Amino acid sequence: MMKIQLTKESRKLSREIQALTGENVNECYQCRKCSVGCPAAYEMSLKPHEMMRALQLGMENEVFQSGIIWACLSCETCNTRCPQDINIVRVIDGLRELVMSGRVDYFNPYPEIPAMHRLFLKLVERYGRTYETGLAFILNLKMVDPFKDIDLVWPMLTKRRLKLLPQKSGGVKELRRVVAKIRAIEGES
Amino acid sequence: MRYAYFPGCTLSASAQDYDMSFRWVCRYLGIELQEVRDWVCCGACSARAVSRLLSVAMPAITLSHAKEEGFDQLVAPCLISSSRMKAANVELETDTDLRKKVNEVLEGGYRETVKVLHPLEVFLNDVGLDFLGEKVEKRLPGLKVACYYGCNLTRPPRVSRFDNTEYPMSMDHMLQSVGLETLDWAYKTECCGVSMTLTRADMVVHLTHKILTAAKEVGADVIAVCCPLCQANLDMRQNQIAEKYGERFDIPVFYFTQLLGIIYGAYSGELGLNRLIVSPQKALENYGIL
Repeated sequence: MMKIQLTKESRKLSREIQALTGENVNECYQCRKCSVGCPAAYEMSLKPHEMMRALQLGMENEVFQSGIIWACLSCETCNTRCPQDINIVRVIDGLRELVMSGRVDYFNPYPEIPAMHRLFLKLVERYGRTYETGLAFILNLKMVDPFKDIDLVWPMLTKRRLKLLPQKSGGVKELRRVVAKIRAIEGES
Repeated sequence: MRYAYFPGCTLSASAQDYDMSFRWVCRYLGIELQEVRDWVCCGACSARAVSRLLSVAMPAITLSHAKEEGFDQLVAPCLISSSRMKAANVELETDTDLRKKVNEVLEGGYRETVKVLHPLEVFLNDVGLDFLGEKVEKRLPGLKVACYYGCNLTRPPRVSRFDNTEYPMSMDHMLQSVGLETLDWAYKTECCGVSMTLTRADMVVHLTHKILTAAKEVGADVIAVCCPLCQANLDMRQNQIAEKYGERFDIPVFYFTQLLGIIYGAYSGELGLNRLIVSPQKALENYGIL
């Protein structure tokens, strides 16, 4: 039988997650309730309970390369049902934070999702509010998929559901100052 | 009754019908809303993927503005907004380190909590079912409504602090109180795919197909929702679903505030009914509304 040896090295990732999120992945005892209720599990090569196990064992490659952290919808079903009250979505948020800040760098099968989050926040920093039309349009161009959902444009336009121009919030300058201070604290680029 | 109002980004753009109908119903019921000065985006699904501090600080900016204007309660109709703002409050209550940091980065600080409410909480807890029922102007007999709550009205319960987590009934009770028939069904709180609509539309099509199938199976004429992302995902992609699965649903997806507005006698233009992608014409034709 294969022997699992927990070393200082293998506990590095779970400790990092605990420091970032306050969640202790070692509390998971593999009941699988999270995976059974997960609406996105069909899309994940590593199911949520498997991700928790991989985190316990320090299997960094498997966790990040599976892309599970990006396929997660943050629907909070797993958190709600976890008998150990582990906030699994927050664990995933922490893992996403590690990727987005450049602290880890692995192949990601879902590059469009972190790209969307980055663009979303870039536009919010510019206008103080989400610029829906710009977000969808620029993202499709970036992902070299310019005609994605082209069939929705006409009904959205005629039903006045698309606002072509962005709206600027009066609070945008304040928001920018807050974001700048957070960057200084967190040492991001 | 007076509340600070945070419409949020979506209600100011693609979901103006939710904003119009919510404001109309509030006026009708004597609820006063004051839009928060210089509100900013709540960070939605994206801030939390980048930084926990940012995901709490963004809602705190708007909440601190509401506090400055003298409000203790804020209402946010978008479920992403209301849940991110509630989550920020909970994290600030429980994590003193985080609170210190947020007060460091926020200019005026955010020291006294502004309670965040979703409109369903306002209607159910503050207005009350009896009053909602007394104000009825119009009946829609025979119209069968499947109430769809989505993820964040009740999940996670330590944040939402409202309704039953797995099988909520607040919207059902509210629509029943104004004479509508609501249905028992199993997909009330299944996720619609949220922001994946921008990146992995195939997941949204897969998930909403299941939800629409479940609604159709119990005989729903219409679906009622309480979040702009749920509405867009369930309403917008019914053509794509028909193409992929060979099954046409044509189930109109209303905001619950639009249904209330109809029952309280608003004109369809005041509720933005013409903005729904799946036309509500057929579902409402017997009642002389459109």
